[in-house]
Amino acid sequence: MLSRRQFMATTAAVATLSATRLVAQDRKTLQVFIDGDTNISDWWNNILKPAFEAAHPTHTFNVTITRGVADGNGTIAARALAAMQSQTDPQVDYFEEIEPASVAGSVEAGLWLEVTEANVPNLKMINPAAIQTPIRMPYRGSQVLIAYDSAKIPTPPKTFADLVAWAKANPGRFTYGRPDKGGSGSNFVIRAIHEANGQDPAAFTKDNFDAAKAEEMLQKGWAILKDLHPFTFGEGTYPAGNTPALQLLAQGAVDMIPAWSDQALQAIKTGVLPETVKVVQLQDLALCGGFAYSAIPANATDLEGALALANFMLSPESQTSCVRDIGGFPGISWDNLPAELKAEYIDVIPVSIPTFPSGDWQTAKNDGWYKNVATNIVRD
Amino acid sequence: MSDLAQMSAGAVRGPAKRTGHGTQAMAGLALVALPMAMLLGLILWPTMRMIGATVTLEDRIGADRYVAFFGDAYSMANLRFTLEMSLISALTALALSFGIALYLRFSAGRIATMIHALSLFPLFVPSIIISYALVRFLGPNGLFQLLLEQIGITQYRTPYLTPVGPFLAFVWENLPLPVLVLSAGLTQVSDHAVEAARDLGARPLRILWEILLPQTRRSLLIAFALIFLGILGAYTVPYMLGPAAPEMMGVYMQRTLGNLQDPDSAQVQAVVLMAIASVVGGFYIATMLKSQGAER
Repeated sequence: MLSRRQFMATTAAVATLSATRLVAQDRKTLQVFIDGDTNISDWWNNILKPAFEAAHPTHTFNVTITRGVADGNGTIAARALAAMQSQTDPQVDYFEEIEPASVAGSVEAGLWLEVTEANVPNLKMINPAAIQTPIRMPYRGSQVLIAYDSAKIPTPPKTFADLVAWAKANPGRFTYGRPDKGGSGSNFVIRAIHEANGQDPAAFTKDNFDAAKAEEMLQKGWAILKDLHPFTFGEGTYPAGNTPALQLLAQGAVDMIPAWSDQALQAIKTGVLPETVKVVQLQDLALCGGFAYSAIPANATDLEGALALANFMLSPESQTSCVRDIGGFPGISWDNLPAELKAEYIDVIPVSIPTFPSGDWQTAKNDGWYKNVATNIVRD
Repeated sequence: MSDLAQMSAGAVRGPAKRTGHGTQAMAGLALVALPMAMLLGLILWPTMRMIGATVTLEDRIGADRYVAFFGDAYSMANLRFTLEMSLISALTALALSFGIALYLRFSAGRIATMIHALSLFPLFVPSIIISYALVRFLGPNGLFQLLLEQIGITQYRTPYLTPVGPFLAFVWENLPLPVLVLSAGLTQVSDHAVEAARDLGARPLRILWEILLPQTRRSLLIAFALIFLGILGAYTVPYMLGPAAPEMMGVYMQRTLGNLQDPDSAQVQAVVLMAIASVVGGFYIATMLKSQGAER
């Protein structure tokens, strides 16, 4: 027999449950897939979700993390493509980050919804530095910067030549990560290669790789880095990635490193790096960086909601949060963000965001660095 | 423990007379059939295919890729570094664990138990943890350096990102296994032999040299082979703690395959490493077989 109290408790529980269900049914739930790092999925769940719900009473979203599972969002996109061919529900409305071109056959099959100012009005504010195509929407970016301890370096170098001069004048106080183990070291190596080749990122394209020509162009970069080698931390022992490099800076073992903007800014904010650490971008030619692109599958069951989410992501509020909360660069131009935010980040706002082609150039760069720069083998 | 003792001393003996006839023999074969099938199908067959692939060039069969590997100064520096690191680390770990095993053999009581437990502790710590711990402890401005500075020593240079870093981690990581194998081996040395020698006035070093070492030779060889092979193929420790170059072969192979996307070269590196490992492995098997033969 149920006691009266138990009966009441059970009834109350059932009532609460149905009430929650009703509220949940009131809102349509968008399915968002994220394969980025924890900082990104946490940002979506803890900050963007309540803000989106407040702005859109009819919708909410559910984040599914695909990080480290098969090919992450690529695998989900392949399933969405299969669902399109069999005309079933793809069970996904929004990809936080995806490269449509890397999902075989998806572009040809018309899997991706075209986003324009007509269906995502905020696209009119898009950052001119971001390359936008109709099927993918840049919404956050990061770039490699120079992070330095301002307590020891009052005036940081503003050009690559100044940086090298500083490193040589302060042996052991500068280092960068191995180029194959993380983008911060990689993009520093690329910057040296750019420096040696007329500071012209356009000289390197996906289609212009030619082994002999590349060898000649890279050798000029290796000359700069070989020259720098004995002056880096431990006389040429390079940390194995983005985090180990940040660790050396945090432990005070070095005073200057190249670092990803979002990682450095977030580390300063959370106290992982001392608050005297500041970041600066080189002004003669910036270090490389890139944007994260979102995309919407055209067969999503709630296109209207997905487009509303896309527009919300490009709103000045969300973009301010991108800068403040994850140390990212905005997908919309800085002019659309609060003036004080722009003033605060003036040192790191890039004039341009250079890139370096993937594929053969990357491979030649990484292996060439190991064989020419890192190694202590004497060559004759 | 006693199983291990028998194993390392080569004293494992089945029933004196095997009664394997008919169904019993079939049952025995059935028991080994599955592991043998797995060994053949999942290890030997892919290995043979891989070796085949390394000599299959576009238009012919040839050892060109091996010539390229052995002709490349960078690859050879990596290989030499890997062998030196494995040899020095394994011998150091072996020497230290032999000391611990000797102590445990001739001591009893609470302290001995504690030392025994401590020496086995690394067995339960994954490489990634020890690597991070060593970065924090031995790294620049880490705890060790701070302690040294407290007593006025300021010349400390961190082993992090130098060959000494992985060396320390390998030695620490590889203490437990030889301690187990060697203490087992030492229990096989009879107390009478040691006491008799003592009575005749033999000093400890002489007892070590003439009684303990000869009688534990097999355990030493087995322990050495086991840890040497482990270090030879290590990845996490040299990746986290070692210098950018030279690279140990595990790190080099991973980079060749994963970053350079050059499976052909990675396979050649793997075959070379495997050939070296199989020499040491063959040595290990020969020691085991010889010890079994000696008992017959």
